[in-house]
Amino acid sequence: MIVVPRLSTILLAAVTGVVAVLLYSPLFVPIVSSFFPVARGEVDWSSPTVSTYVALAGNHEILAALRATLVVGLCTVVLAVVSGTLLALYYHGRRAGRSLLQFIVFLPFLTPPIISGLALLIFFREIGLERSLLTVIVGHTVFVLAIVYRTVLTRLQSMSRTLVEASYDLGATKWQTFWRVILPNLSSAMAGGAILAFALSFDETMITILVTGTQTTLPVRLWAMMRLGFSPDINALVALILMFTVLLCALAARFLVPRQIATQRS
Amino acid sequence: MSSAGLGRPIAFRWSPLVTALAFALPVVFVLAPLAIFLVYSFFSVDQGQIVYAPTLANYLRFFTDPVFLPVFWRTIVLCLSVAAISILLAYPTAYFLTTLHGRWRYVLLMLLMVPLLMSYVIKIYAIRSILGLNGFLNKALVGLGIIAEPSTLFVFNMNAILLTLTLLLIPFAILPIFLALERIPQVLLSASHDLGASNLQTFLRITLPLSLPGVASAASFVFVLAIGDFLTPQMVGGISGFTFGRILYSQFGTAFNWPFGAALSVALAMVVIAAILAGERFGRNRGASL
Repeated sequence: MIVVPRLSTILLAAVTGVVAVLLYSPLFVPIVSSFFPVARGEVDWSSPTVSTYVALAGNHEILAALRATLVVGLCTVVLAVVSGTLLALYYHGRRAGRSLLQFIVFLPFLTPPIISGLALLIFFREIGLERSLLTVIVGHTVFVLAIVYRTVLTRLQSMSRTLVEASYDLGATKWQTFWRVILPNLSSAMAGGAILAFALSFDETMITILVTGTQTTLPVRLWAMMRLGFSPDINALVALILMFTVLLCALAARFLVPRQIATQRS
Repeated sequence: MSSAGLGRPIAFRWSPLVTALAFALPVVFVLAPLAIFLVYSFFSVDQGQIVYAPTLANYLRFFTDPVFLPVFWRTIVLCLSVAAISILLAYPTAYFLTTLHGRWRYVLLMLLMVPLLMSYVIKIYAIRSILGLNGFLNKALVGLGIIAEPSTLFVFNMNAILLTLTLLLIPFAILPIFLALERIPQVLLSASHDLGASNLQTFLRITLPLSLPGVASAASFVFVLAIGDFLTPQMVGGISGFTFGRILYSQFGTAFNWPFGAALSVALAMVVIAAILAGERFGRNRGASL
């Protein structure tokens, strides 16, 4: 227990309060303006409205971008979970070259997105792959692979070896052991990794801007619109996205925090 | 669970094909692009066509042209300032969290991390509207009588980039500092009090030195994230707020000089690697924690 005298506690709490306000104010601006009309920087508190949400439903450009984002997100998740799990299963244990390859898997996560994005851009050009949603999917998969790999590997390392041995002792084949013992044990880690990967893909902007073609995802479409100044229905979209992401992360936390800890805490 | 985490592989035999695939995936999609990128920095451009002949001209231009090095330094200083301000705000916050007990500590930590989930682009836009001429910041300052009329000091310049990046990246500073503070053994603090040290002495001689690795990690995180960002300067920097990331990005857009852009990226990568290594070196030094 850290003993702090009153005055300094108050000062510390004050700084924390300021930081919280700083962090949350950019979140509240779009949410508030999604419900209240804004004219010349003044919020009109007297007439709350949901018209922005109605207008959003008719904005085809945004809806198309949203669809593209979901397609990219789902493909990314499938690719990243399959290859991340396989890599984790493969590199689990001490294999030659493991730490080097692990480092390579983590590279896109460590390097600034502008560098990974540009490297991929040149790579796609050199192999003659036209920029499209496919290149975006590849870019996202490479970016989120490390997260899925790490999550699955952590679970694999905490898994008891005796489970697998028991399975073999009871006469199960290699594949039976995989499908009936290993995979069920990994499933919640895979689900958690998948949700994290989806959340990252959903918001990824910098790599996407560099490798996208004519069809593009929501953050990049928003980016393009913001530079011109945009219609208020975007605020509605922003509010919806925030709710959606918080929900996703709450889900991910459920899958990734072990049950016992979760019940202890609550 | 006795054999858990011993690092022994769960028994599986892998065919050579699987082995090849396991190696191919990271090598083809991560290493190859980066390697090609590095090679590109030694090429040149002639009338919109890339000339595949090795040259050092790009690097020479970076070091000799009067435009690039000053922007490079200015960007490094900017990102160091972002890291410094973030830490000045994050340290007291993280310290406050460790004074809380039980569930509240983690609830508050989670609440401070939630803004990270919000779309990056949208946050930049919202911050720009707060900093703008008609924005909330100017309204508040005028309302408080600190300035007479709305100022353009906070938007479309270097200040705006500094403020925006700080606002975006504070959570990345809070987390490592919090973890370092939380790891300090309470017995050390009790011992310090028992030996008659004042609270301030205990903080300066025990808590602060033991939390410095966390501060180093935080600084390295924030710096690396700030220097790699080209969206924020583009959105809030205006004409005067020109950063290295923007110049780099423009080489792939308007300027259309990919090889030179690749060379600039190599320079950026060097700084990033140095920052990560420094963060590792000083962030690892946790000998005193029990």
